[in-house]
Amino acid sequence: MNWPQLLVTVVTLGGIFGVVTLALNLQYARGGMINFGIVAYFAIGAYVYAIVTQRGPIGLDQYRFGFDWPWWSGLILAGIAALLFAALTGWPTLRLRGEYLALTTFAFAEVLHSLLLNERRIGNGTVGLANVDRPFSDWGPIEEKYVFAAAAALLLVLTLLAFRRLLSSPYGRALDAIRDDETAALAVGKAAERLRREVFLISAIPVGVAGAVYAMYTTLAQPSLFTAEITFFVWIALVLGGERSLYGVVLGTLGLVLFEEVVRAWPFETVRSAQIAASAEHVLTGLVFIAVLRYQPFQRTVSRLRVAP
Amino acid sequence: MTAIAGQPRERRALLEAAGISKRFAGLQAVGGSEGLSFDVFAGEFVGLIGPNGAGKSTTFDLLSGVLRSDSGAVTFDGRDVTEADPHMHARYGIGRTFQTPRSFESMTVLQNVVAGATNPGERLGAAFGRKWRGGERSATDAAKRILTRVGLADRASAPVSDLSGGELRMLEVARQLIRKPTLLLLDEPTAGVHPGLQDRLAALLRDIHREGMTLLVVEHNLHFLLALADHILVLAEGELIAQGTPADIRVDPVVVSAYLGSDSAA
Repeated sequence: MNWPQLLVTVVTLGGIFGVVTLALNLQYARGGMINFGIVAYFAIGAYVYAIVTQRGPIGLDQYRFGFDWPWWSGLILAGIAALLFAALTGWPTLRLRGEYLALTTFAFAEVLHSLLLNERRIGNGTVGLANVDRPFSDWGPIEEKYVFAAAAALLLVLTLLAFRRLLSSPYGRALDAIRDDETAALAVGKAAERLRREVFLISAIPVGVAGAVYAMYTTLAQPSLFTAEITFFVWIALVLGGERSLYGVVLGTLGLVLFEEVVRAWPFETVRSAQIAASAEHVLTGLVFIAVLRYQPFQRTVSRLRVAP
Repeated sequence: MTAIAGQPRERRALLEAAGISKRFAGLQAVGGSEGLSFDVFAGEFVGLIGPNGAGKSTTFDLLSGVLRSDSGAVTFDGRDVTEADPHMHARYGIGRTFQTPRSFESMTVLQNVVAGATNPGERLGAAFGRKWRGGERSATDAAKRILTRVGLADRASAPVSDLSGGELRMLEVARQLIRKPTLLLLDEPTAGVHPGLQDRLAALLRDIHREGMTLLVVEHNLHFLLALADHILVLAEGELIAQGTPADIRVDPVVVSAYLGSDSAA
Protein backbone atom coordinates (compact mmCIF):
# COMPACT_ATOMS: atom_id res chain seq x y z
CA MET A 1 0.00 0.00 0.00
CA ASN A 2 1.20 3.50 -0.88
CA TRP A 3 0.98 5.14 2.55
CA PRO A 4 2.23 8.64 1.59
CA GLN A 5 -0.38 8.84 -1.16
CA LEU A 6 -3.01 7.51 1.22
CA LEU A 7 -2.18 10.16 3.82
CA VAL A 8 -2.37 12.93 1.23
CA THR A 9 -5.82 11.66 0.21
CA VAL A 10 -6.93 11.47 3.84
CA VAL A 11 -5.79 15.04 4.51
CA THR A 12 -7.51 16.30 1.36
CA LEU A 13 -10.83 14.49 1.78
CA GLY A 14 -10.65 14.75 5.58
CA GLY A 15 -10.16 18.50 5.23
CA ILE A 16 -13.07 18.88 2.82
CA PHE A 17 -15.51 16.68 4.75
CA GLY A 18 -14.19 17.96 8.08
CA VAL A 19 -15.50 21.40 7.11
CA VAL A 20 -18.93 19.91 6.46
CA THR A 21 -18.85 18.05 9.80
CA LEU A 22 -17.84 21.24 11.61
CA ALA A 23 -20.80 23.05 10.06
CA LEU A 24 -23.07 20.21 11.12
CA ASN A 25 -21.60 20.40 14.61
CA LEU A 26 -22.41 24.10 14.80
CA GLN A 27 -25.96 23.53 13.58
CA TYR A 28 -26.76 20.44 15.63
CA ALA A 29 -24.58 20.32 18.74
CA ARG A 30 -24.76 24.04 19.40
CA GLY A 31 -27.82 25.27 17.51
CA GLY A 32 -29.97 22.20 18.19
CA MET A 33 -30.97 21.85 14.52
CA ILE A 34 -31.01 18.46 12.83
CA ASN A 35 -30.01 18.97 9.20
CA PHE A 36 -30.34 15.80 7.14
CA GLY A 37 -29.87 17.70 3.90
CA ILE A 38 -26.43 19.21 4.37
CA VAL A 39 -25.22 17.59 1.15
CA ALA A 40 -27.40 20.10 -0.72
CA TYR A 41 -25.25 23.06 0.39
CA PHE A 42 -22.13 21.08 -0.51
CA ALA A 43 -23.59 20.33 -3.97
CA ILE A 44 -24.60 23.94 -4.51
CA GLY A 45 -21.01 25.02 -3.84
CA ALA A 46 -19.63 22.43 -6.27
CA TYR A 47 -22.07 23.27 -9.06
CA VAL A 48 -21.71 27.04 -8.66
CA TYR A 49 -17.93 26.71 -8.76
CA ALA A 50 -18.16 24.56 -11.89
CA ILE A 51 -20.59 26.90 -13.66
CA VAL A 52 -18.66 30.05 -12.76
CA THR A 53 -15.25 28.74 -13.82
CA GLN A 54 -16.08 26.52 -16.81
CA ARG A 55 -16.21 27.65 -20.41
CA GLY A 56 -19.52 28.03 -22.23
CA PRO A 57 -21.20 24.97 -23.74
CA ILE A 58 -19.79 23.41 -26.89
CA GLY A 59 -20.71 20.36 -28.99
CA LEU A 60 -23.01 17.97 -27.14
CA ASP A 61 -23.05 19.97 -23.91
CA GLN A 62 -26.57 20.59 -22.68
CA TYR A 63 -25.77 23.04 -19.91
CA ARG A 64 -26.51 26.69 -20.62
CA PHE A 65 -24.09 28.62 -18.44
CA GLY A 66 -20.33 28.75 -18.24
CA PHE A 67 -18.65 32.04 -17.38
CA ASP A 68 -14.95 31.17 -17.53
CA TRP A 69 -14.22 33.37 -14.51
CA PRO A 70 -11.13 32.84 -12.33
CA TRP A 71 -11.09 30.09 -9.68
CA TRP A 72 -11.13 32.46 -6.72
CA SER A 73 -14.38 34.08 -7.92
CA GLY A 74 -15.81 30.56 -8.13
CA LEU A 75 -14.82 29.89 -4.52
CA ILE A 76 -16.36 33.13 -3.28
CA LEU A 77 -19.57 32.65 -5.26
CA ALA A 78 -19.81 29.02 -4.06
CA GLY A 79 -19.89 30.28 -0.46
CA ILE A 80 -22.41 33.00 -1.28
CA ALA A 81 -24.64 30.59 -3.22
CA ALA A 82 -24.66 28.14 -0.29
CA LEU A 83 -25.57 31.01 2.02
CA LEU A 84 -28.44 32.05 -0.26
CA PHE A 85 -29.65 28.47 -0.57
CA ALA A 86 -29.57 28.19 3.23
CA ALA A 87 -31.64 31.39 3.44
CA LEU A 88 -34.11 29.97 0.93
CA THR A 89 -34.44 26.61 2.69
CA GLY A 90 -34.11 28.00 6.21
CA TRP A 91 -36.91 30.51 5.86
CA PRO A 92 -39.73 27.92 5.70
CA THR A 93 -38.06 25.20 7.78
CA LEU A 94 -36.41 26.75 10.83
CA ARG A 95 -39.63 27.08 12.76
CA LEU A 96 -39.68 23.29 12.79
CA ARG A 97 -37.88 21.24 15.41
CA GLY A 98 -36.36 17.80 15.78
CA GLU A 99 -37.39 15.16 13.33
CA TYR A 100 -39.66 17.54 11.43
CA LEU A 101 -36.71 19.76 10.57
CA ALA A 102 -34.62 16.68 9.76
CA LEU A 103 -37.24 15.41 7.29
CA THR A 104 -37.76 18.81 5.68
CA THR A 105 -34.05 19.44 5.13
CA PHE A 106 -33.72 15.90 3.77
CA ALA A 107 -36.59 16.61 1.37
CA PHE A 108 -34.95 19.85 0.18
CA ALA A 109 -31.72 17.97 -0.57
CA GLU A 110 -33.63 15.30 -2.49
CA VAL A 111 -35.47 17.96 -4.49
CA LEU A 112 -32.16 19.58 -5.40
CA HIS A 113 -30.67 16.21 -6.33
CA SER A 114 -33.65 15.47 -8.52
CA LEU A 115 -33.41 18.90 -10.13
CA LEU A 116 -29.73 18.41 -10.95
CA LEU A 117 -30.49 14.99 -12.38
CA ASN A 118 -33.37 16.07 -14.57
CA GLU A 119 -32.72 19.70 -15.47
CA ARG A 120 -29.89 19.30 -17.94
CA ARG A 121 -29.57 23.01 -18.59
CA ILE A 122 -28.01 23.46 -15.15
CA GLY A 123 -25.32 20.81 -15.15
CA ASN A 124 -25.76 18.32 -18.01
CA GLY A 125 -28.10 16.08 -15.96
CA THR A 126 -26.67 12.70 -14.96
CA VAL A 127 -23.51 13.29 -16.98
CA GLY A 128 -22.62 16.30 -14.86
CA LEU A 129 -20.02 18.96 -15.47
CA ALA A 130 -16.83 17.05 -16.20
CA ASN A 131 -14.26 19.71 -16.97
CA VAL A 132 -14.14 21.63 -13.74
CA ASP A 133 -11.24 24.05 -13.55
CA ARG A 134 -8.34 22.74 -11.44
CA PRO A 135 -6.34 25.86 -10.69
CA PHE A 136 -3.41 24.28 -8.88
CA SER A 137 -2.11 22.26 -11.83
CA ASP A 138 0.51 24.81 -12.82
CA TRP A 139 1.71 25.97 -9.43
CA GLY A 140 5.44 25.62 -9.82
CA PRO A 141 7.49 22.76 -8.42
CA ILE A 142 5.01 21.56 -5.77
CA GLU A 143 2.95 18.64 -6.90
CA GLU A 144 -0.73 19.37 -7.38
CA LYS A 145 -1.89 16.75 -4.87
CA TYR A 146 0.10 18.44 -2.09
CA VAL A 147 -1.32 21.83 -2.98
CA PHE A 148 -4.83 20.36 -2.78
CA ALA A 149 -4.10 18.71 0.56
CA ALA A 150 -2.74 22.02 1.87
CA ALA A 151 -5.75 23.95 0.52
CA ALA A 152 -8.21 21.52 2.12
CA ALA A 153 -6.29 21.58 5.41
CA LEU A 154 -6.18 25.39 5.32
CA LEU A 155 -9.93 25.58 4.72
CA LEU A 156 -10.48 23.20 7.63
CA VAL A 157 -8.23 25.17 9.97
CA LEU A 158 -9.80 28.51 9.01
CA THR A 159 -13.30 27.10 9.56
CA LEU A 160 -12.23 25.58 12.88
CA LEU A 161 -10.69 28.85 14.09
CA ALA A 162 -13.70 30.92 13.00
CA PHE A 163 -16.17 28.55 14.70
CA ARG A 164 -14.02 28.32 17.82
CA ARG A 165 -13.90 32.09 18.07
CA LEU A 166 -17.64 32.33 17.62
CA LEU A 167 -18.42 29.61 20.13
CA SER A 168 -16.06 30.91 22.81
CA SER A 169 -17.78 34.31 22.71
CA PRO A 170 -21.05 35.24 24.46
CA TYR A 171 -22.70 34.28 21.16
CA GLY A 172 -21.63 30.66 21.72
CA ARG A 173 -22.81 30.75 25.31
CA ALA A 174 -26.19 32.09 24.19
CA LEU A 175 -26.41 29.19 21.73
CA ASP A 176 -25.59 26.73 24.51
CA ALA A 177 -28.22 28.31 26.73
CA ILE A 178 -30.85 27.96 24.00
CA ARG A 179 -29.87 24.36 23.37
CA ASP A 180 -29.96 23.51 27.09
CA ASP A 181 -33.30 25.17 27.82
CA GLU A 182 -34.89 27.47 25.28
CA THR A 183 -37.64 28.72 27.61
CA ALA A 184 -35.09 29.71 30.26
CA ALA A 185 -32.89 31.33 27.59
CA LEU A 186 -35.83 33.38 26.31
CA ALA A 187 -36.53 34.48 29.88
CA VAL A 188 -33.07 36.09 29.98
CA GLY A 189 -33.50 37.85 26.65
CA LYS A 190 -31.77 35.44 24.27
CA ALA A 191 -33.19 35.83 20.75
CA ALA A 192 -33.40 32.11 20.04
CA GLU A 193 -34.95 32.36 16.60
CA ARG A 194 -32.43 34.93 15.33
CA LEU A 195 -29.45 33.01 16.65
CA ARG A 196 -30.62 29.74 15.14
CA ARG A 197 -31.25 31.39 11.78
CA GLU A 198 -27.81 33.02 11.78
CA VAL A 199 -26.08 29.76 12.68
CA PHE A 200 -27.92 27.98 9.89
CA LEU A 201 -26.85 30.64 7.39
CA ILE A 202 -23.22 31.17 8.36
CA SER A 203 -22.49 27.45 8.67
CA ALA A 204 -23.58 27.01 5.04
CA ILE A 205 -20.79 29.29 3.75
CA PRO A 206 -17.79 27.00 4.45
CA VAL A 207 -19.85 24.00 3.29
CA GLY A 208 -20.34 25.73 -0.08
CA VAL A 209 -16.62 26.52 -0.30
CA ALA A 210 -15.78 22.91 0.63
CA GLY A 211 -18.11 21.79 -2.17
CA ALA A 212 -16.16 23.99 -4.58
CA VAL A 213 -12.84 22.48 -3.44
CA TYR A 214 -14.34 19.01 -3.82
CA ALA A 215 -15.41 19.84 -7.39
CA MET A 216 -11.88 21.13 -8.11
CA TYR A 217 -10.37 17.99 -6.63
CA THR A 218 -12.58 15.56 -8.53
CA THR A 219 -12.83 17.91 -11.60
CA LEU A 220 -16.45 16.83 -11.57
CA ALA A 221 -19.82 18.13 -10.47
CA GLN A 222 -22.23 15.26 -10.94
CA PRO A 223 -25.47 14.33 -9.09
CA SER A 224 -24.11 10.89 -8.17
CA LEU A 225 -21.38 12.58 -6.09
CA PHE A 226 -23.90 14.46 -3.99
CA THR A 227 -26.28 11.90 -2.57
CA ALA A 228 -27.63 11.41 0.96
CA GLU A 229 -24.62 9.13 1.51
CA ILE A 230 -22.51 12.25 2.11
CA THR A 231 -25.01 13.57 4.63
CA PHE A 232 -24.92 10.35 6.60
CA PHE A 233 -21.15 10.08 6.29
CA VAL A 234 -20.67 13.44 8.01
CA TRP A 235 -23.32 12.62 10.60
CA ILE A 236 -21.43 9.44 11.49
CA ALA A 237 -18.19 11.43 11.68
CA LEU A 238 -19.91 13.94 13.96
CA VAL A 239 -21.13 11.27 16.37
CA LEU A 240 -17.82 9.39 16.27
CA GLY A 241 -15.89 12.53 17.08
CA GLY A 242 -18.14 13.63 19.91
CA GLU A 243 -20.63 16.32 19.16
CA ARG A 244 -19.55 18.69 21.92
CA SER A 245 -15.99 19.16 20.69
CA LEU A 246 -14.80 20.89 17.53
CA TYR A 247 -11.48 19.04 17.65
CA GLY A 248 -13.25 15.73 18.21
CA VAL A 249 -15.37 16.40 15.15
CA VAL A 250 -12.26 16.95 13.03
CA LEU A 251 -10.62 13.81 14.42
CA GLY A 252 -13.79 11.82 13.86
CA THR A 253 -13.90 12.87 10.21
CA LEU A 254 -10.21 12.20 9.62
CA GLY A 255 -10.54 8.80 11.29
CA LEU A 256 -13.54 7.82 9.22
CA VAL A 257 -11.92 8.96 5.97
CA LEU A 258 -8.71 7.09 6.88
CA PHE A 259 -10.71 3.95 7.62
CA GLU A 260 -12.51 4.10 4.26
CA GLU A 261 -9.38 4.92 2.30
CA VAL A 262 -7.41 2.07 3.89
CA VAL A 263 -10.13 -0.41 2.93
CA ARG A 264 -10.27 1.08 -0.56
CA ALA A 265 -6.49 1.12 -1.08
CA TRP A 266 -5.75 -2.28 0.44
CA PRO A 267 -4.14 -4.54 -2.20
CA PHE A 268 -6.65 -7.39 -2.15
CA GLU A 269 -5.63 -10.53 -4.01
CA THR A 270 -9.06 -11.36 -5.33
CA VAL A 271 -12.22 -9.50 -6.27
CA ARG A 272 -14.10 -11.61 -3.73
CA SER A 273 -11.89 -10.50 -0.83
CA ALA A 274 -12.27 -6.87 -1.90
CA GLN A 275 -16.06 -7.31 -1.88
CA ILE A 276 -15.95 -8.85 1.59
CA ALA A 277 -13.72 -6.01 2.80
CA ALA A 278 -16.14 -3.43 1.38
CA SER A 279 -19.01 -5.07 3.27
CA ALA A 280 -16.91 -5.41 6.41
CA GLU A 281 -16.16 -1.68 6.21
CA HIS A 282 -19.85 -0.90 6.59
CA VAL A 283 -20.35 -3.48 9.32
CA LEU A 284 -17.35 -2.19 11.29
CA THR A 285 -18.44 1.44 10.86
CA GLY A 286 -21.86 0.45 12.17
CA LEU A 287 -20.43 -1.38 15.18
CA VAL A 288 -18.15 1.53 16.11
CA PHE A 289 -21.10 3.88 15.68
CA ILE A 290 -23.28 1.83 18.05
CA ALA A 291 -20.46 1.56 20.60
CA VAL A 292 -19.90 5.33 20.55
CA LEU A 293 -23.62 6.00 20.95
CA ARG A 294 -23.81 3.52 23.81
CA TYR A 295 -20.79 4.66 25.81
CA GLN A 296 -20.48 8.31 24.66
CA PRO A 297 -16.78 8.49 25.55
CA PHE A 298 -16.20 11.91 23.99
CA GLN A 299 -19.16 13.62 25.64
CA ARG A 300 -18.08 12.27 29.01
CA THR A 301 -14.54 13.51 28.52
CA VAL A 302 -15.70 16.95 27.42
CA SER A 303 -18.18 17.34 30.28
CA ARG A 304 -15.48 16.24 32.78
CA LEU A 305 -13.10 18.84 31.39
CA ARG A 306 -15.74 21.58 31.36
CA VAL A 307 -16.76 21.37 34.98
CA ALA A 308 -13.28 20.92 36.39
CA PRO A 309 -12.72 23.68 38.95
CA MET B 1 -67.61 41.74 50.58
CA THR B 2 -64.28 41.03 48.97
CA ALA B 3 -61.45 43.49 48.86
CA ILE B 4 -61.80 43.95 45.06
CA ALA B 5 -63.88 47.06 45.57
CA GLY B 6 -61.43 48.33 48.20
CA GLN B 7 -59.33 51.42 48.08
CA PRO B 8 -58.21 52.44 44.59
CA ARG B 9 -54.44 52.71 44.31
CA GLU B 10 -53.55 56.04 42.77
CA ARG B 11 -49.99 55.44 41.62
CA ARG B 12 -49.04 54.74 38.00
CA ALA B 13 -49.29 51.09 37.09
CA LEU B 14 -46.04 49.45 35.97
CA LEU B 15 -47.87 46.41 34.66
CA GLU B 16 -51.47 46.45 33.49
CA ALA B 17 -53.33 43.28 32.57
CA ALA B 18 -56.60 44.32 30.91
CA GLY B 19 -59.06 41.56 30.10
CA ILE B 20 -56.47 38.87 29.34
CA SER B 21 -57.63 35.29 28.89
CA LYS B 22 -56.43 31.87 27.77
CA ARG B 23 -58.30 28.74 26.75
CA PHE B 24 -56.71 25.32 26.37
CA ALA B 25 -58.64 22.76 24.32
CA GLY B 26 -61.86 24.66 24.92
CA LEU B 27 -61.34 24.95 28.68
CA GLN B 28 -60.97 28.41 30.16
CA ALA B 29 -57.67 28.48 32.05
CA VAL B 30 -57.51 32.21 32.69
CA GLY B 31 -59.91 35.08 32.32
CA GLY B 32 -63.47 33.84 32.76
CA SER B 33 -66.14 35.67 30.76
CA GLU B 34 -64.67 39.17 30.96
CA GLY B 35 -60.99 38.43 31.07
CA LEU B 36 -58.55 38.94 33.89
CA SER B 37 -57.62 42.51 34.81
CA PHE B 38 -55.26 43.81 37.47
CA ASP B 39 -52.46 46.30 37.95
CA VAL B 40 -49.05 46.03 39.53
CA PHE B 41 -47.58 49.34 40.65
CA ALA B 42 -43.93 50.33 40.53
CA GLY B 43 -42.10 49.34 43.71
CA GLU B 44 -44.86 47.03 44.94
CA PHE B 45 -44.48 43.51 46.27
CA VAL B 46 -47.57 41.73 44.98
CA GLY B 47 -48.54 38.18 45.82
CA LEU B 48 -50.65 36.10 43.45
CA ILE B 49 -52.38 33.26 45.26
CA GLY B 50 -55.10 30.75 44.58
CA PRO B 51 -55.86 27.05 44.81
CA ASN B 52 -54.32 24.50 42.43
CA GLY B 53 -55.53 25.01 38.89
CA ALA B 54 -56.50 28.64 39.51
CA GLY B 55 -54.44 29.76 36.51
CA LYS B 56 -51.54 31.42 38.34
CA SER B 57 -48.72 29.97 36.26
CA THR B 58 -50.73 30.48 33.05
CA THR B 59 -51.15 34.12 34.07
CA PHE B 60 -47.35 34.35 34.46
CA ASP B 61 -46.93 32.81 31.00
CA LEU B 62 -49.29 35.45 29.58
CA LEU B 63 -47.48 38.28 31.34
CA SER B 64 -44.03 37.11 30.24
CA GLY B 65 -44.92 36.34 26.62
CA VAL B 66 -44.49 32.56 26.88
CA LEU B 67 -48.18 32.33 25.91
CA ARG B 68 -50.21 34.80 23.85
CA SER B 69 -53.44 36.01 25.39
CA ASP B 70 -56.66 35.17 23.53
CA SER B 71 -58.04 38.60 24.37
CA GLY B 72 -57.23 41.85 26.13
CA ALA B 73 -53.86 43.51 26.50
CA VAL B 74 -50.77 43.54 28.70
CA THR B 75 -49.06 46.90 29.11
CA PHE B 76 -45.68 47.19 30.77
CA ASP B 77 -44.17 50.57 31.60
CA GLY B 78 -46.54 52.22 29.10
CA ARG B 79 -45.67 49.79 26.29
CA ASP B 80 -48.13 47.26 24.86
CA VAL B 81 -46.33 43.93 25.19
CA THR B 82 -49.29 41.67 24.44
CA GLU B 83 -47.83 40.39 21.18
CA ALA B 84 -44.15 40.71 22.09
CA ASP B 85 -41.93 37.62 22.05
CA PRO B 86 -40.77 36.31 25.45
CA HIS B 87 -37.16 37.43 24.95
CA MET B 88 -38.42 40.96 24.28
CA HIS B 89 -40.35 40.89 27.56
CA ALA B 90 -37.03 40.12 29.26
CA ARG B 91 -35.34 42.98 27.41
CA TYR B 92 -38.12 45.39 28.35
CA GLY B 93 -37.43 44.57 32.00
CA ILE B 94 -39.75 41.70 32.93
CA GLY B 95 -37.81 38.87 34.52
CA ARG B 96 -39.30 35.57 35.58
CA THR B 97 -38.59 32.23 37.19
CA PHE B 98 -40.52 29.02 36.64
CA GLN B 99 -42.61 26.63 38.70
CA THR B 100 -40.09 23.89 37.93
CA PRO B 101 -36.63 25.47 38.15
CA ARG B 102 -34.86 25.76 34.81
CA SER B 103 -31.13 25.95 34.24
CA PHE B 104 -28.47 25.58 31.56
CA GLU B 105 -27.16 22.12 32.33
CA SER B 106 -23.99 22.24 30.26
CA MET B 107 -22.74 25.21 32.30
CA THR B 108 -21.42 25.73 35.79
CA VAL B 109 -23.34 27.70 38.39
CA LEU B 110 -21.29 30.84 37.67
CA GLN B 111 -21.72 30.46 33.91
CA ASN B 112 -25.47 30.10 34.42
CA VAL B 113 -25.60 33.50 36.09
CA VAL B 114 -23.27 35.15 33.56
CA ALA B 115 -25.50 33.74 30.81
CA GLY B 116 -28.34 35.75 32.29
CA ALA B 117 -26.61 39.00 31.39
CA THR B 118 -26.91 40.50 27.93
CA ASN B 119 -23.55 41.06 26.24
CA PRO B 120 -22.92 42.88 22.92
CA GLY B 121 -20.96 39.76 21.92
CA GLU B 122 -24.27 37.96 21.48
CA ARG B 123 -24.53 39.69 18.11
CA LEU B 124 -22.89 37.83 15.24
CA GLY B 125 -20.71 40.69 14.03
CA ALA B 126 -19.50 41.59 17.51
CA ALA B 127 -18.79 37.96 18.46
CA PHE B 128 -15.77 37.86 16.14
CA GLY B 129 -14.37 41.07 17.62
CA ARG B 130 -12.93 41.74 21.07
CA LYS B 131 -15.15 44.51 22.35
CA TRP B 132 -17.34 42.12 24.31
CA ARG B 133 -14.51 41.15 26.63
CA GLY B 134 -14.98 44.18 28.90
CA GLY B 135 -18.68 43.39 29.29
CA GLU B 136 -17.80 39.77 29.98
CA ARG B 137 -15.43 40.70 32.79
CA SER B 138 -17.97 42.99 34.44
CA ALA B 139 -20.73 40.36 34.03
CA THR B 140 -18.51 37.75 35.68
CA ASP B 141 -17.75 40.10 38.58
CA ALA B 142 -21.44 40.93 38.96
CA ALA B 143 -22.33 37.22 38.83
CA LYS B 144 -19.87 36.45 41.63
CA ARG B 145 -21.34 39.21 43.78
CA ILE B 146 -24.87 37.93 43.14
CA LEU B 147 -23.85 34.35 43.94
CA THR B 148 -22.48 35.58 47.25
CA ARG B 149 -25.74 37.40 47.87
CA VAL B 150 -27.89 34.33 47.21
CA GLY B 151 -25.52 32.07 49.17
CA LEU B 152 -24.15 30.07 46.25
CA ALA B 153 -20.63 31.54 46.10
CA ASP B 154 -19.04 28.28 47.21
CA ARG B 155 -20.86 26.41 44.42
CA ALA B 156 -19.75 28.77 41.63
CA SER B 157 -17.68 26.24 39.73
CA ALA B 158 -20.01 23.28 40.36
CA PRO B 159 -22.14 21.84 37.59
CA VAL B 160 -25.81 22.68 38.07
CA SER B 161 -26.61 18.97 38.34
CA ASP B 162 -24.92 19.07 41.77
CA LEU B 163 -27.39 21.63 43.15
CA SER B 164 -30.37 20.78 45.34
CA GLY B 165 -33.89 21.84 44.35
CA GLY B 166 -33.72 24.86 46.62
CA GLU B 167 -30.32 25.89 45.31
CA LEU B 168 -31.63 25.63 41.76
CA ARG B 169 -34.38 28.09 42.70
CA MET B 170 -31.80 30.48 44.15
CA LEU B 171 -29.77 30.10 40.97
CA GLU B 172 -32.81 31.04 38.86
CA VAL B 173 -33.30 34.16 40.97
CA ALA B 174 -29.58 34.96 40.64
CA ARG B 175 -29.77 34.60 36.84
CA GLN B 176 -32.56 37.18 36.81
CA LEU B 177 -30.90 39.53 39.30
CA ILE B 178 -27.91 40.02 37.02
CA ARG B 179 -30.35 41.51 34.49
CA LYS B 180 -31.69 44.00 37.05
CA PRO B 181 -35.29 43.59 35.86
CA THR B 182 -37.80 46.31 36.65
CA LEU B 183 -40.42 43.67 37.43
CA LEU B 184 -39.55 40.18 38.66
CA LEU B 185 -42.14 37.40 38.43
CA LEU B 186 -41.35 34.52 40.79
CA ASP B 187 -43.30 31.30 40.35
CA GLU B 188 -43.47 29.29 43.59
CA PRO B 189 -40.03 30.30 44.86
CA THR B 190 -40.31 28.24 48.07
CA ALA B 191 -41.54 24.98 46.53
CA GLY B 192 -39.14 22.20 47.52
CA VAL B 193 -36.93 24.62 49.47
CA HIS B 194 -35.96 23.65 53.02
CA PRO B 195 -36.88 26.11 55.82
CA GLY B 196 -33.36 27.47 56.29
CA LEU B 197 -33.11 28.39 52.63
CA GLN B 198 -36.65 29.82 52.74
CA ASP B 199 -35.51 32.29 55.40
CA ARG B 200 -32.56 33.29 53.23
CA LEU B 201 -34.91 33.67 50.24
CA ALA B 202 -37.32 35.82 52.25
CA ALA B 203 -34.45 38.08 53.32
CA LEU B 204 -33.24 38.34 49.74
CA LEU B 205 -36.70 39.24 48.41
CA ARG B 206 -37.13 41.80 51.15
CA ASP B 207 -33.78 43.35 50.22
CA ILE B 208 -34.34 43.54 46.47
CA HIS B 209 -37.82 44.95 47.07
CA ARG B 210 -36.36 47.58 49.37
CA GLU B 211 -33.87 48.45 46.64
CA GLY B 212 -36.78 49.30 44.35
CA MET B 213 -37.50 46.15 42.35
CA THR B 214 -41.17 45.41 41.76
CA LEU B 215 -42.11 41.82 42.58
CA LEU B 216 -45.05 39.68 41.58
CA VAL B 217 -44.88 36.33 43.32
CA VAL B 218 -47.00 33.20 42.93
CA GLU B 219 -46.76 31.18 46.10
CA HIS B 220 -48.59 28.37 47.87
CA ASN B 221 -46.82 29.07 51.13
CA LEU B 222 -49.19 31.76 52.44
CA HIS B 223 -47.26 32.20 55.66
CA PHE B 224 -44.19 33.12 53.61
CA LEU B 225 -45.99 35.39 51.15
CA LEU B 226 -48.37 37.24 53.45
CA ALA B 227 -45.41 38.24 55.61
CA LEU B 228 -43.66 39.87 52.66
CA ALA B 229 -46.22 41.22 50.19
CA ASP B 230 -47.83 44.68 50.15
CA HIS B 231 -50.75 43.58 48.06
CA ILE B 232 -52.38 40.25 47.30
CA LEU B 233 -54.30 39.13 44.22
CA VAL B 234 -56.47 36.03 44.62
CA LEU B 235 -57.32 33.86 41.63
CA ALA B 236 -59.85 31.05 41.50
CA GLU B 237 -60.77 29.20 38.31
CA GLY B 238 -58.90 31.80 36.26
CA GLU B 239 -60.77 34.79 37.70
CA LEU B 240 -59.74 37.44 40.16
CA ILE B 241 -61.98 36.90 43.18
CA ALA B 242 -60.29 39.30 45.58
CA GLN B 243 -57.44 41.68 46.08
CA GLY B 244 -56.18 43.74 48.95
CA THR B 245 -53.60 43.94 51.69
CA PRO B 246 -52.48 40.72 53.39
CA ALA B 247 -54.54 41.75 56.43
CA ASP B 248 -57.68 42.14 54.27
CA ILE B 249 -57.09 38.85 52.52
CA ARG B 250 -56.56 36.89 55.74
CA VAL B 251 -60.08 37.66 56.90
CA ASP B 252 -61.89 37.79 53.56
CA PRO B 253 -64.55 35.02 53.72
CA VAL B 254 -64.63 34.64 49.91
CA VAL B 255 -60.90 34.01 49.87
CA VAL B 256 -61.04 31.67 52.83
CA SER B 257 -63.85 29.74 51.19
CA ALA B 258 -62.33 29.54 47.73
CA TYR B 259 -58.72 29.11 48.74
CA LEU B 260 -58.85 27.16 51.94
CA GLY B 261 -62.19 25.39 51.53
CA SER B 262 -65.64 26.01 52.95
CA ASP B 263 -64.88 24.25 56.27
CA SER B 264 -62.19 26.79 57.03
CA ALA B 265 -64.54 29.63 56.16
CA ALA B 266 -66.99 28.38 58.67
